[in-house]
Parts: sequence; C-alpha cells; structure tokens
Amino acid sequence: MKKLVLVLSVLLLATIQLFAAGAQEKASQEEVTLSVMWFNDANESDVFMDTIADYLAENPHVKIDMQVVAFSDYEQKLKLMISGGNPPDVARVTNNHLAALISSLEPIEGYVDDVKAVETQFMPASVAFAKDDKGILRAYPTEATANGMIVNKTAFDNAGIDVAKLSETWTWDQWEEAARKVIAANDKIKYGLAVDFTPHRFSTLMFQMGGRFMNSEQSAMQFNNPGTLAAIEMFKRYHDTGLIPKSVWLGSENPAELFQAGIVASHIGGSWNINTYNQNVKDFEWIVVHNPKGAIVSSVPGGKFIASFKDSKNKEEAQRLMAVFSDKTHNEQYCRDTFNLSARVDSEVQYPSNSEDFARFQIDLTKTPAFTANEWKHPVVNKVSTYIREQVVEVLIGNISAQEAVKRVDERAATFF
Amino acid sequence: MKPKRQKGNFHQTITPLLFLLPNMVIFVLFIIVPAFQGLRMSFMRWGIFTDPKFVGIANFKELLGDSVFWVTFRNTLVYSVSVVLLLVVVSLILALLLKRNSLMGEKIFRAVFYIPSLLSMIAVGIAWRFVLGDEMGVLNHVVRSFGGDGINWLTDGRLAMTSVILVSGWALSGYYMVIFISGLQAIPTDLYEAARIDGSTPWKTFWLVTLPLLKSTVLVVVVLSTIASFKAYELIFAMTKGGPGYATKFIVQQVYQVAFMEDRMGYASAMSIVLMVVIGVFTAMQFVFSGKDQGYE
Amino acid sequence: MSKKSSYIVLVQYVVIVAFALGTLFPVMWVALSSFKPQSELFRIPMTLFPAHWTVENYRNALGQGDFLVYFSNTVFVAVVATGITVLINIMSGYALAKYIFPGRNVIFFIMIATLMIPLQVIMIAIFLQLKRFGMLNSLWGIIIPPSATPTGIFLARQYMVNLPDSMIESARLDGAKEITIFARIIIPLSKPIIATIAIFSFMWRWNDYLWPLIVITDNRKQTVQQALANFVGQLQINWSNLLAMTTISIIPVIFVFLAFQRFFMVGITAGSVKG
Repeated sequence: MKKLVLVLSVLLLATIQLFAAGAQEKASQEEVTLSVMWFNDANESDVFMDTIADYLAENPHVKIDMQVVAFSDYEQKLKLMISGGNPPDVARVTNNHLAALISSLEPIEGYVDDVKAVETQFMPASVAFAKDDKGILRAYPTEATANGMIVNKTAFDNAGIDVAKLSETWTWDQWEEAARKVIAANDKIKYGLAVDFTPHRFSTLMFQMGGRFMNSEQSAMQFNNPGTLAAIEMFKRYHDTGLIPKSVWLGSENPAELFQAGIVASHIGGSWNINTYNQNVKDFEWIVVHNPKGAIVSSVPGGKFIASFKDSKNKEEAQRLMAVFSDKTHNEQYCRDTFNLSARVDSEVQYPSNSEDFARFQIDLTKTPAFTANEWKHPVVNKVSTYIREQVVEVLIGNISAQEAVKRVDERAATFF
Repeated sequence: MKPKRQKGNFHQTITPLLFLLPNMVIFVLFIIVPAFQGLRMSFMRWGIFTDPKFVGIANFKELLGDSVFWVTFRNTLVYSVSVVLLLVVVSLILALLLKRNSLMGEKIFRAVFYIPSLLSMIAVGIAWRFVLGDEMGVLNHVVRSFGGDGINWLTDGRLAMTSVILVSGWALSGYYMVIFISGLQAIPTDLYEAARIDGSTPWKTFWLVTLPLLKSTVLVVVVLSTIASFKAYELIFAMTKGGPGYATKFIVQQVYQVAFMEDRMGYASAMSIVLMVVIGVFTAMQFVFSGKDQGYE
Repeated sequence: MSKKSSYIVLVQYVVIVAFALGTLFPVMWVALSSFKPQSELFRIPMTLFPAHWTVENYRNALGQGDFLVYFSNTVFVAVVATGITVLINIMSGYALAKYIFPGRNVIFFIMIATLMIPLQVIMIAIFLQLKRFGMLNSLWGIIIPPSATPTGIFLARQYMVNLPDSMIESARLDGAKEITIFARIIIPLSKPIIATIAIFSFMWRWNDYLWPLIVITDNRKQTVQQALANFVGQLQINWSNLLAMTTISIIPVIFVFLAFQRFFMVGITAGSVKG
C-alpha cells in the first residue's frame, strides 16, 4: 500500500508542477485571447492555426485559445455554452449547426464595409446556409462539400466499362445496368452501391428523383410527393434485389469501409471521402464520377463555416480574424491543406492530387438547384431528419409502406410549425 | 471529558450526519438542485434558446400517445431484464472461480475479465463492430470461409437485440465480478471449513453457506446493474445506432434525440421522469424482496 | 478424493480459459489493429495480425494535440478524485450502516435515487450550477461534483452492514472517540471494499467523458478521453489514431487494477491460505 501511495503521489506532484508552469505562462500575456472552438474530421484545427500564422505574427496582441471538441458532442456543447452565456469568440460550424444556432450568431454586417460584396465572394448555396431567415449574413463560408458518387474504377474496367465517360450522361437505369455487369465481372464485388447512413446522403437520391422535403414556400413539410416516394421505392428495390447491402442502413456498418474493402462498386458519399480514400485505398483505382440522372442531375450542397456569437467577449477581434481567414489567399491555403472544396467563387485551389475528382464534384454542384440548400437550412428539416432516417429504415425492413412513411414524416413535422 | 453518550448504543444523530455532510453537500448542489429543475421543466414547453412556458401536464399526456416512446420503453425493459439476469449469473460464476488465489494465474485472469469494463463504451462498440459486422465482421468472415452465408448479427432486428445484450454482458461482467469477490471476502472462512468437515458437497455449500451470506452483495449487484442497464445508451448506440429501425432504440437515446435534435427540452424531461419512476419502482421492489435482514425499516 | 478435486480444477480451468479467450478477442483485435497501416484496416480477407507492422499510428496519435498535457490532466483528475471519493463515500457508507438516526432510510434512498437520473437531461442545469460556483473550465469542476458517487456509498454501506457490531461497542466502552473508531477499526476492516471503490472510481474517472465535456472549455485542460473522441469526425473517422490512442489509454488502468487487486483479496490471504 505504501509503495503505491508513493508512486501515486509522485505522479501527482509531477502533474501539479506541470500546471504551475502552465499558469505562469498564461500570466505573462495580456491583450486579446480569442477562444476558438473547433471540431476535426482530420487535422483541420492544426491547418487553421497554420493558415492564420501570418496574421498572428502581424498582430502580436492576438492570441488563440483553441479547444477541439468531438463532433458527436459539438452541437450540444455549443448549445450549453450559449445558453449559459459564455460562448466562444469564434467557432467552426456546419450547415446543420447553422440551422439550429443561427439566431445566436453575431451578424457580419457592421464589421465589414460592404456585406453585399462579401456575399458575392461565396457560392450561392453556402451563402444561403449562412443567412438567417431575414437574409442577414451571420457566418463566413469556408469549405463547401458536395454529395456524390465515387466508384471502384478497377472493377468497372474489369467489366469493360469506361465509367468516367459513361457517367457524363448516365441515368439511374444505366447505372444499374452497369453495376450489375460489374458485380458479374468481379469475384470480389458483391454489391453495386453503398449509401451513407444519413438523411443528408439519402436526400441525394431524393433530389435526383425530383423529390423534396417541403413545399416551395417552405410553409409546411411536404415529404409526401411523387419524387420522394419514387426515391424511397427505388432505394427499397435496390435493397431487396441485393444491389445495396442491407448492413449499412439496417446494421449501421460503415459504407466507406465496405468501399475500401473493395466489395461495393460505388459509394454515395461526398467530397470529403477523397481525403480518406487517398490515404487508405491501395488495392484498386477509384475515381469520382458524375451523379446519375433521375428526374434531374443533382448533388447536395453542404459545408463548414466560421462564426462569432452575439454574447462573445471579443467580437471585434473575432470578426477581424474571420474576415482575414476567409479571404482568397487564406481560404485557398486552408482548402488545399485540408483537401476540401472551397466555398469561394473565385478560388483556384491547387490540390497536390485528385484535381479531376474535385472538379467533377464542383461541376455537379453547379447543376444543383438552389432549393436543396434552402431546404436543408430549414430548422424543421433538421429537427425531423433523424425521424426521417428511421422511417426510411422502417420501409426497408418492410414494416411500413413508403406511403405510410412520408405521411408519418409530414405529421411529425407539422408539430414543429 | 467524554461527551455524553449512551454506552453501547448506536442511536446517535450528530456524528452520522457529520460523516454524511460532505457527500450531502455535493449531492444537493450538483445533482438534486439540477434534478428539481429537470422536474420543473417537464411541465414546460421549452427549447434551449427560448423561454420556458408552463403547459401543465401536456407533455405527459403527449407521452401516452407517443408510439415511438412506448417502443423504446418496451425495448428498454427487455434489455434490462435480460442483461441483469445474465450479469448476475456470469459475474457470480467468475467470482466463485477466481476468489481463492488457488488457481495458477488467477491474478491475471481477474485482470483479463476486468479489461472490458476499462474500455470506454465507444471503444467497446467499435471493437464489437469489427467482430459482428455483416460484411466486415470477423465472425462472418469465419462463417463464410466454411461456406456459410454469414449471419446478420446486427442487421436482423431480433438478433441485434440479442447481440447487444450479450455484448453488454461481456462488457460489464468483470465489473460485477469484482463486487462479488469483495463480498465473498466478508464470509468468514471457518464456515467453509465447518461445511467441509460436515461432508457437504461444493454445490450444497454454495446454496446453504455462500448464497445466504452473499445476499447483501447480490442486492448491490442487482440494483446497480438494473439502474445501469435502464440508463444504457452509449454502447448500444455505438454498435447499432438504435437500429435496425427501432429494434434496439432505448429510452435514453430517444430522450437525447428529443432534447438535442428536436430541441424539446420539456418533453425530454417528461420522458426521463417516467424513466426514473420505472427505475425507482424496480429498485424498490428489489429492496422489498431482499427482505428485512438488510437493515431497513 | 484428490483425483476428483484435480478433475474439478481441470474443469474450472477449461471454463476460465474459454471465457478469457472470448473476453480478450475483441480487445486483441483493437490492439493488434492499432499496429496495422491505414490501408490494411478494411482489407478483405481480414487478418488478426498486421501484414506490415507499424508504429506510425502511435506516432500520429501522440503527435496530435498535446498528449502529455491530456495525460497528466487525466492522472491528476483520476488520482485526486479517487482519493476524495473513497474518503467521503466510506464515511457516508459507515454512517448509514452503523448508526441509527432519524431520516437514515430517507437519506439512503435519496442517494440511490440520484443514480437513476439520466445526467444528459439535467446537463444544462448542472452547467449553470457550475458557472455559479466558478468551477467552469477548472479541473476541480471535474473532480468535485461527481465525487459523491451513490455507487460507492451503496457498496460501502452493504459491506459495512456485515461488520461485527461487537468491536465498535467494546471500543465505545473503552471510551474511544467516534472518529477514532472509524479510523482505527472500520477502515482496516474495510480494505477490500476500499480497494473496490478505489478501482471503480479510478477507472470511471479515467474513462469519464461527460463531465469534462460539460466543464472544460480549453484545450490545455482536456483529458485523454476527450482527445480520443476527437478522432471521430462529422464525415470521417481517423481509425488508426483512434485505435492507437484507445490501446494506450487502457494500459494505465490495467496497472492500477493489478496493483489494487491484492487489497481486495486481503480477507482470504489473512484467513485460509496463510492460516
């Protein structure tokens, strides 16, 4: 027992020392310390610090206090801090967060000379996410994301299909025909498609089939529409005929893993997958292809943003930093180093590789109708999104019909209006 | 200079309250006060950034007709009852096998069984997805290499519930084993000696000596595992996300979703009040069944 | 007789080893996968052992953020919190087990009842309370509020109920002070349960994620579990770092368990084996 106590107290002393040292360091700095909250998909917080290093060097009175919080609890933590009255000065947020938090963000207006000029620098979909319901810009777009299809090129090659060329004009029927050939021609390929287990990725199919979440005035949910029903039924048919593995939407297996293992021919994910696949896929060649056409060709926009809060303590400095971070040079550097699409219209990001893949995502994004962003920024769509996912799974299992599912979603959503 | 005290008497008031003081202060400040706030909120309509509005028992009324809530309620009951039974049996067996320091390597074995409880629930979920995954799981890999089709451990509703129960048993048996072992230490060794001299078989000794004297520990294990399993969430979420469909969705996950995704804090509070009442009833029943020799009443 | 008992030992061994292998398998899978290069993680056919061993994952995981700081924060929290928890829980357990006073059962049931509250729901209220007491963003905010664990009190009480009253009575007759009885008689007799509570508390603090999430708003005060959770992003999971960090994070707790387990085996060694 004594030995143990000794060991523990030595450990303890060592830690206290470390703290004392930390505290002294802090005392020597005065001026402005910006608290920054971030979440990481890979190493974005480090890249952010590298990107603003020149700004910090020119402004030695600004210091950064960075906290990285896990994504799964990020929104909850932000909500806690906001409702407790001490939000961070700057935070990285997603378009989903914006739908829930936008009313507590500080408007950009008043900190820049011309807010309209700022808005024109970014892609319309990104600006749509960053504006509140009165059209006031409250966040700077940083990266854009696009949902889309990535395929196992080697497998398509084995089936004698030039998938890059085919995808320039293909429809979902043509995709299906090709996918079945790929499965037949490759021993290892078991499935044609894996779709991420999220309502956002499902909406890719939905928008492509001409469906939508709400009516066009956004005054009510209208999940019950022919396009959405067609998408759910197509999704179910692909599951029932073995074109899509059940284990993703029913067993929550990770589709990116299935794709990396080389057992699915195509994956509906998005621009962020380029980074992962680049690092992890060594056994076959993969490329990004254009989205198959249903009623229309569509991707689904998304993205990340940077914002400050109404109750932030250092709003002036926070806004100054955000403006600099979002300018062309800094944004290009950040997007290049995090391997993302830029949200700026004027950016010319020089990626070290995969520039064709990024270009395909970008092209499909420009074909995407604007209402997709407007629907996804609506708070009610966000609130019922998990419920939507559950109802789609209920259809896949066979517990309810697609008709029943869309009806339930509309009823549930009605309670939020 | 002795304080006035009835000799040999356990009836005292000031001393025990002083012993209880630090705990009580922390409890009141950080659990009980917030909990009462939660109770108040269950009678409000309330989003995280909006002002609470009193709505009486509307939240509870809505709960009665909320079919999703009742599905999660049923799932929680099925899960809890199965997990508690599984845990009591398995951890008691482990404790009996490993209580004596007589087997070679017992220390290591105890540590081995305890390791799963050291893992964060997220890590446990990840580890078992590697094992049970439909396409990427080791078990199905083995099944397929023998020519089988693969088993839908997590993709089939009923199997998913079974898998989740078994994995919970795996994750927590070591924890309750430790409680049982420390309880077994309190049983005087001369009783075993006497039973052995009387020619009692190990089986009989277990029922006549060990189990009766282990009663207070069994109560601890049953109560703690009941409460924990009613509140279980992270492990299941990491394994199945509540699916397929609603097959493994439990109350706490639903509470979480309603509170933070749908931003209905009042309704979520009402749900958790119902959950608390149910746990309370179960726990009270366990105390009543365990009888008077526990020192209550 | 001896043939029969060696047969029983054999059966016991078979049961234990089978259980142990089943128990360890998923853990081994995590540990061994942490030595695989990223590209091998999701390869079919899968293998238990890495085809190419690498420590790159460990280098990356440790290089991201300030691992040493997270680690020492966690040690500090776990050690101090365990000390406080054990002391106040044993005190409470003793009061509830060995004194008769008005309100005893009520206090006990309230304590047990607090176990039933799902913390997630009252998080906002807890946050405001911590803010009121200036405990936000301080390690003491992680240490103090959860140190009154109902589990610990319950364990201590159930154990101490079984301790013989006669020793306490005779000490009182000798005129010993209450605090002396607690320190000199109760604590030595309660070593197994103290060790149990200590292990549980240490392990729980080591793995605790919720309290640091509520309290801490500064990277320099983060704990290992928070750093671990950061590897799971919105759109990507950094598997190799996650596996490596998980493996590292288990090791200290295993050592603490091994160090403490001889204390909860104390009753037996004193009684039968040596005697």
